[in-house]
Amino acid sequence: MLKIYERLWQVNWAEQWQYRANLLMYLLYDLVSPVVYLAVWITIANSQGSVDGLTANDFITYYLTLLIVDQLTNEITIHILAYKIQDGTLSSELLRPVHPILTSSLVYNLASKVLSFIVLLPVWLVLCLLFRPDYSSVSLGSFLLTLPAVLLGFAIAFLLGAAITCLAFWTTRVYAISDFYSGLVLIFSGQFVPLQLMPPFIQDVARFLPFQMFRYVPIQIVLNKLPPNQILQDFAIGIAWFVVALLLFRLTWREGIKRFSAVGA
Amino acid sequence: MRLFQLLSAFFKVNLQIAVAYRMDTFVNILLNLLWLGWELLGLSIIFSNTPSLGGWSLGELIALLGIFRLVNALMAALIWPNTENFNAAVRDGTLDYTLLQPVDSMFLVTFSRMVIWHAWDMVLATVLIVVGVRMTGSGVTAPNLVSFLFLSVSGTVILYSLWIVLIAATFWFVKFDNNVTILQALLDTGRYPSTVYPTWLRLIVTFLVPIAVATTVPLQALRGDLTGWQVLLFLGIGAASFLVASRVWKAGVRKYSGASA
Repeated sequence: MLKIYERLWQVNWAEQWQYRANLLMYLLYDLVSPVVYLAVWITIANSQGSVDGLTANDFITYYLTLLIVDQLTNEITIHILAYKIQDGTLSSELLRPVHPILTSSLVYNLASKVLSFIVLLPVWLVLCLLFRPDYSSVSLGSFLLTLPAVLLGFAIAFLLGAAITCLAFWTTRVYAISDFYSGLVLIFSGQFVPLQLMPPFIQDVARFLPFQMFRYVPIQIVLNKLPPNQILQDFAIGIAWFVVALLLFRLTWREGIKRFSAVGA
Repeated sequence: MRLFQLLSAFFKVNLQIAVAYRMDTFVNILLNLLWLGWELLGLSIIFSNTPSLGGWSLGELIALLGIFRLVNALMAALIWPNTENFNAAVRDGTLDYTLLQPVDSMFLVTFSRMVIWHAWDMVLATVLIVVGVRMTGSGVTAPNLVSFLFLSVSGTVILYSLWIVLIAATFWFVKFDNNVTILQALLDTGRYPSTVYPTWLRLIVTFLVPIAVATTVPLQALRGDLTGWQVLLFLGIGAASFLVASRVWKAGVRKYSGASA
């Protein structure tokens, strides 16, 4: 089994390495909007000292960490698989003795992450020089505790993304559904603004949704901003969502594959 | 005159496409409304924490959001879909047929594809601009309003000229199908006034990829931040960049040798 993953890795890596120049361009998409919001909040924080107790440095460390966490937990399964379901080319992957999503797509996601980081790191260092963050609140313990949070965040994101991709078995409008889903992620994950600045109602909802595990919780853990009992609660909710996401994915995949008739292939 | 006839023919064809996929059109409009709600939520979060953003009031930012969405809708209705067509046509050589038509090729490449439902988005954006301007109240004078309108047009022309230069670059570097990514990625900077950005970012969005010239600058004119000379300067840059872009386009077409021949 490990051999299969190793081989898949080599294939995916070689395939994506050809597009490394494109990668730099695509990375721009992920960079621009956090930098814009960072500039907006710095302006406000500087004009009145702080925003709800958050200083300019709090915003700088939040958004710069966001850039890293975002790359670690995001997933692109719908872009590599939905069209294969729609045009029927999925059938060639179904003939292989490995799971099309849990192996090929997963490895594709991981390979693209590693490549993104090769491009992101130098850009990130330049941004650090420009914004000069003070990362003194990060400790070894908070760093180590972030690793399982990021892993859990990616696992949930990947499984939910895969479940949505499987809706392509039923509807051709799966991209509209995915658009709607990314809107939810944007609001409830803390991508736009640290969740504690959101209206209380949205904060309460966000606490029980899986999305805060994608960005907000890992960022706040590494920056040492959450009390231990809050971290415990967030992990518990995250693990519950992991189980839900796993069940959702298994259900959509099993029922979807029954309907699959490989149109056009 | 002939160009208008062509435009209305393009419009009819594209309208038929939109009607054929009416469910998609409906879903897109619904999603679009959702995004608007989300953008207004963003503004309300910002202004629940501060009375003004770098000297800009809520009304001014709503007007800016309107301008931004107008530019965005124009891009989504015309520029992005036609870029796709253009890149595909260069790759497989069908651009030859466009160049052989007895009509200006720049015109054909710009208008042949239209995504009609974005017309709705433009109406919505106009409403935002009107509401925003009214919220800023009595401070708006007639000359400022006129320069605002002129600068919005010339700013859009500047962005359009940049687009023409970018896709014309494909004539020299054939493997350049990322030609508009930088424009697409930086477009989001138009949502907030460029005056709040750090200097390096402000320089990029003013001179290198001048998104701000189509969004922040017209709003500055409306607020009365610009002198008469500055307004004339920006209008001049708009006219000059269009002339340069059409020159570059013509040179590119001469350079183009066709993939099919």
